[in-house]
Amino acid sequence: MISTENLEKHYEVGPEKVFALKGIDLSIKKGEFVSIMGPSGSGKTTLMNIIGCLDSPSKGDYFLNGKLVSDLSDDELAKIRNQEIGFIFQSFNLLARNSALSNVLLPTKYAGLDGKKSLSIAKEMLELVGLSDRTDHTPSELSGGQQQRVAIARALVNRPSIIFADEPTGNLDSKTGQDVMNLLKDLNNNGQTIIIITHEDNIANQSNRIIKIKDGLIEEDNKNV
Amino acid sequence: MILRESFESALNSIKANALRSFLTSLAIIIGTAAVIAVIGIGTSANKALDAEIDEFGVRNLSIFAGQKRRGGVSSGASPLTLKDAYALERVTEHDWLVAPGIQRGRQVQFENNNMQASINGYSVNNFPVRGFNIEYGRLFTEKENLARKKYVVIGSKVASELKTFSRNLLNKDVLIGGASYKVIGILKEEGSSGWQSPDDEFYIPILTATSRIAGTEDLGWINVGIPNDANVDLVMMSIEEVLRRQHDIGPGEDNDFRINDWSQYADLRRQATNIFALLIAGIAGISLVVGGIGVMNIMLVSVTERTREIGLRKALGATPKIILFQFLVEATILCAIGGIIGVFIGTLLLYVFASFNDWPFAMPFSAILGSITFSAIVGLIFGIWPARRAAKLDPAVSLRYE
Ligand SMILES: Nc1ncnc2c1ncn2[C@@H]1O[C@H](COP(=O)(O)OP(=O)(O)O)[C@@H](O)[C@H]1O
Ligand SMILES: [Mg+2]
Repeated sequence: MISTENLEKHYEVGPEKVFALKGIDLSIKKGEFVSIMGPSGSGKTTLMNIIGCLDSPSKGDYFLNGKLVSDLSDDELAKIRNQEIGFIFQSFNLLARNSALSNVLLPTKYAGLDGKKSLSIAKEMLELVGLSDRTDHTPSELSGGQQQRVAIARALVNRPSIIFADEPTGNLDSKTGQDVMNLLKDLNNNGQTIIIITHEDNIANQSNRIIKIKDGLIEEDNKNV
Repeated sequence: MILRESFESALNSIKANALRSFLTSLAIIIGTAAVIAVIGIGTSANKALDAEIDEFGVRNLSIFAGQKRRGGVSSGASPLTLKDAYALERVTEHDWLVAPGIQRGRQVQFENNNMQASINGYSVNNFPVRGFNIEYGRLFTEKENLARKKYVVIGSKVASELKTFSRNLLNKDVLIGGASYKVIGILKEEGSSGWQSPDDEFYIPILTATSRIAGTEDLGWINVGIPNDANVDLVMMSIEEVLRRQHDIGPGEDNDFRINDWSQYADLRRQATNIFALLIAGIAGISLVVGGIGVMNIMLVSVTERTREIGLRKALGATPKIILFQFLVEATILCAIGGIIGVFIGTLLLYVFASFNDWPFAMPFSAILGSITFSAIVGLIFGIWPARRAAKLDPAVSLRYE
């Protein structure tokens, strides 16, 4: 489902080139639960941005579901992000003035979906993450764990093929972090492909594949079943 | 769907920063209020002017005596006389009303009350030319004029000056300069216009006035009432021709009289009002544009502040066009709301100003619609740059923004 060939990404900082990725060959199959680990600044977020279609590589090819996406237009990438990918962030990134429900609905609006149908899907997703009694609450009225669960419902609402989570437990205490992990594991057990970035070993150990990155290169790739 | 999302998020963002939104649109509010007030004041002033001109009924030229000049040397005043008026009356090619008049100040007494008053000698034509109408009693006739009757028609406010009621004065005698005159009519209230207050004055037949009060046939004026559609230049030329002949003025010599076209002044006044209104509206328009720059500035700040939000929206599938649209809508709504508030304030100002000046309240709907549309367009135009900036943001970079 995901396959990259010699992905490179560099940033031009003044006259210098800063390499964030120095040649990544990676392939991830449908239904996998992958953890990406590595020290800070090693290129994890950059990698996720590229395979999440938020960014394009400087060099190399990236195939998503058999389609070469590394040179699609902005509008086409937006459509893929909307339809194929769900993002979960460390800092939740909910719209502060919107209710949980309206946050979950946002991707359906960008998909141009029919209001009634998407409303019922959004409610279903909030129920799935255990927040059906919090649909009208704004983020400030929710705990961190609840906010991250709203974000998960939002990531799921357009039924994407992959979920990307960049340090989803990084802002949570270990218990609520584990709750979020359990939710992600449940989703994976139902066939959802999930890729998370983490630097907590006990989180990574709950996935079935750990990829370690250092200085923009894959250092280790362990499939632990 | 997307359209509604844009409206909702635009309104949300305006509400969330209510004070800032208000301050930002203040220039728009003031600009629109000024445009509306000035256009309304101009319209109301012109309407008041129209009403004033309508009162004249017909178009009104006035002839006054001037200086007699020979070879650039003034050789005394050359009066207008009743003979000049009769000569004008004999002209048949024009459908005009010749209304000679004279005015003197005299003491008037009724019972034990006195007043100092203007006594006008009027020909019967003066009343229709001035647009004066009778309230009680009647006007005098040409026959009574020729008979030099001691009849008087009085203005509507004379009675209260003499500490009585109009009804009470009708058919009573008043003493004008010591001589007894019978009050045969009382005029409707005319209201004062400019330096004249016709309601306080007395009107007697012109021949009574020349023979019994002034003791001269020299007139104060000759008014000439002409139909609204008359060719004023032609009329003026005819008057000149008659009076030059009457006054024996040779070719190349200057007129010894002046002809005033009052409606010309009205036109000039109207023009001045319009130019003034246009000028202020222009200045107000500039303040709207300045307001637009303020809105652009705040929108740029807002785009920077909301970089992360924009990154998130893009991550969730918003295309650059959707983001562009969202910020354009926000700028447009911000300015349109400012425009609507401005229209309310401007209308209020106009209302106060018009009632203060006793003008009719007139506000063209097109001005209201136009100024709200204009401020919305200002928002749209000045929103383009910030909105494009938001649309162009790189999602990956924006999501890293703290
Ligand atoms: N927009 C950018 N401009 C310049 N350098 C960047 C930019 N984004 C990331 N980098 C650099 O790329 C490297 C990888 O960053 P990142 O992918 O965020 O690492 P990680 O997520 O593993 O901490 C870092 O050295 C970072 O400083
Ligand atoms: Mg990172």
